Amino acid sequence: MEVKIAPQMSLMDKLKILADAAKYDVSCSSSGSSRKNDGTGIGNTVAAGLCHSFGADGRCISLLKILFTNECIYDCRYCINRRSNDVPRASFTPDEVCELTMEFYRRNYIEGLFLSSGILYSPNYTMELICETVHKLRTVHRFQGYVHVKAIPGADPLLIQRAGYLADRMSVNLEMATAEGLREMAPNKHRKTILKPMRQIQNGIVENKNELTLYKHAPHFCEAGQSTQMVVGALPESDYQVMSVAESLYEKFSLKRVYYSAFVNVNEDKQLPSITAGPPLLREHRLYQADWLLRFYGFKVDELLTKERPNFNMAIDPKADWAVRHLEVFPVEINRADYRLLLRVPGIGVKSARRIITARRFGNLTFEDLKKMGIVLKRALYFITCSGRMMYPTKLDETYIVQNLTYQNQMGKGERLPFLMDGTPYRQMSLFDEGQMLDDTRNFVNVCSSKTTGDSRITGNSVITGDSKITGNSVITGDSKITGNSVITGDSRITGNSMITGDSKTEGVLYTA
Amino acid sequence: MEEKYIICEDSLEGIFTAIYDAYALREGHERLHVQVGETDNYRLFATYLHSQPDFGKTEKVVRTLQSRLGEHVYGSICRAAASDGADKGDAVYHTVVDGITDGHGERTMENLRNPYVARTFALARRTANEVNHELEFIRFQELKQGILYARIGPENNVMPFVMPHFADRLAPEDFMIHDENRGLFGVHPARGEWYLVSGVEQEAEEMQEVVQYSDKEQQYQELFSLFHKTIAIKERGNKRLQQQMLPLRFREYMTEFQRREDSGS
Ligand code: SF4
Repeated sequence: MEVKIAPQMSLMDKLKILADAAKYDVSCSSSGSSRKNDGTGIGNTVAAGLCHSFGADGRCISLLKILFTNECIYDCRYCINRRSNDVPRASFTPDEVCELTMEFYRRNYIEGLFLSSGILYSPNYTMELICETVHKLRTVHRFQGYVHVKAIPGADPLLIQRAGYLADRMSVNLEMATAEGLREMAPNKHRKTILKPMRQIQNGIVENKNELTLYKHAPHFCEAGQSTQMVVGALPESDYQVMSVAESLYEKFSLKRVYYSAFVNVNEDKQLPSITAGPPLLREHRLYQADWLLRFYGFKVDELLTKERPNFNMAIDPKADWAVRHLEVFPVEINRADYRLLLRVPGIGVKSARRIITARRFGNLTFEDLKKMGIVLKRALYFITCSGRMMYPTKLDETYIVQNLTYQNQMGKGERLPFLMDGTPYRQMSLFDEGQMLDDTRNFVNVCSSKTTGDSRITGNSVITGDSKITGNSVITGDSKITGNSVITGDSRITGNSMITGDSKTEGVLYTA
Repeated sequence: MEEKYIICEDSLEGIFTAIYDAYALREGHERLHVQVGETDNYRLFATYLHSQPDFGKTEKVVRTLQSRLGEHVYGSICRAAASDGADKGDAVYHTVVDGITDGHGERTMENLRNPYVARTFALARRTANEVNHELEFIRFQELKQGILYARIGPENNVMPFVMPHFADRLAPEDFMIHDENRGLFGVHPARGEWYLVSGVEQEAEEMQEVVQYSDKEQQYQELFSLFHKTIAIKERGNKRLQQQMLPLRFREYMTEFQRREDSGS
């Protein structure tokens, strides 16, 4: 391979290239390990993980997430570092990675290191470099903070094992939900070579657990488990396919986390979904919500989706969607229902369900008590009774509840967005996320045509693709994209970076920033 | 019977001493209140007593709470007492009553139907959240002598909860955390025990002026700021989410949010 890097490239230049190249890897978690400092160097780990900063995209920054090199012999279609791209290339030395990690860690910038890499020369060569780097960090620098490393598919099992004894977490990216998808997107990768190290790591963790019960001081192998990630939205796979794969990864490979990455068309590949529509963030959000339901709420994929209904409802979150389709289960009596059933109530999360169980031992709970415990009553009230009574008289009717749930604007303190629904059910409505669950998008997406007659306030980043009519005075502060033909007749104030590409008419005064 | 207020110092010692004094009155707890700091809102038909922090009384209260309520409830009480809630004295006092006199013991914090317990719970959570934020957002800068130095401006008195974390993590380092809102220093000598120093605000100000950073400090700050900027995905830009996760008030202390004159781009 031709070496395109000038050897005198500064640390600054390298970091810029190799952090930029690593940013599409989603995981930045530093959880799952709990380790005290042993007095020989710096560092410890905290079971819940810590987020040291948040980037301009709102994502957590916990680890120094970098590639060792962005040189790569492979040519994956979705990847900016693929062989056929003409991008600036750089490689760290092991010492440089150690220095950055140690100096960032001392200043409390990071929880540790996440080291991934393009494939330099061969999988083995690359994996060896990763091992050497982390080995140096652990032994020479006595670093005891968190380390996450990629297992390079195709690398020698001995190297994978070596890395597992140095790292807290390892991951192998599944990349695409289906084997065919992978073949299409990453011609040099094969499902089998990805699953092999995944299985090896899983077995390694199990064996290590046995070892540790026998010998307390045995070295740890991937104490924080393993994770993986799938790109969604590049190919037409359904949510049902994606979630089914995730479910079997959790069940059959004992993964700690599956990450979903909304496709960003970095290579402007004409055959793949275009970049102008932006990454499918709402879909990604729904997948995370559903993932949460699998891991903590006792849901099965088949309860949420079916072959006939293979995609999530974009209008409401998967849990609320399940609830309104199972009204026969509700209302649930707060003072009697068991934990599993409480978890099925929209607006009640894992923590609040536990609080209810413990607090009701002291006497019957009222709606006032629930409020103090952090239950989102706006959402829960349709589904619960306290001592046999509902909070307000309300209908147990699917369309009615959905209308009310989607009305709720979780973004501005409980204010309602006065969207009219054209008399039609919720499929044509504006969408808001459940504040309780993973709040990572906070974007407002209106996929269909809408008519807004009141004064509107849109504070998230909005995408409006249908023909919209907004007749009140509007304030749009997020970055919005309006691609349909919209008519805004009130006075509008748009302060975010908005793109209006349809034939939109603004009849009132338009203030833009 | 009229209401009685015991006024105490704003410290764990102050509040615990007041609780000791409240119990010593042996008058029943319903009309008795613990008030942290002077109030400017004296009620006509109420009696005000003053309580001076006392080490011996504090120790007795600590021992009682730990053995009768357990570490978990005791921890919540300490965090609530460290919060900036103006009513924390009364909340903590009546939570102790709920635990000891009403006998809820280790389960006290579960009795959220008692408004005092609910308040203690909320205040403890406020402190815990801020402690957690500080563990994440504190930024150390390396001084010439190799000491790591961090400034914070927390709403609650987080220092006692923040220090143990860094004392373990940065065991071989000399470091110092400075709470600018309270004129309080947490000091950790390398491989030693940490301790708190207060009442040195003037020295602190002088120190600000003479403080000298190590030669490499500037470089690492620039490297991290660059990393912070680079790692965000442009197409996913969401400053609102960023702000929600990382409240603005922390940013004045954070390396990556400082404006740099020399940032070229
Ligand atoms: S293997 Fe594929 S995804 Fe990984 S760096 Fe190379 S081209 Fe990119």
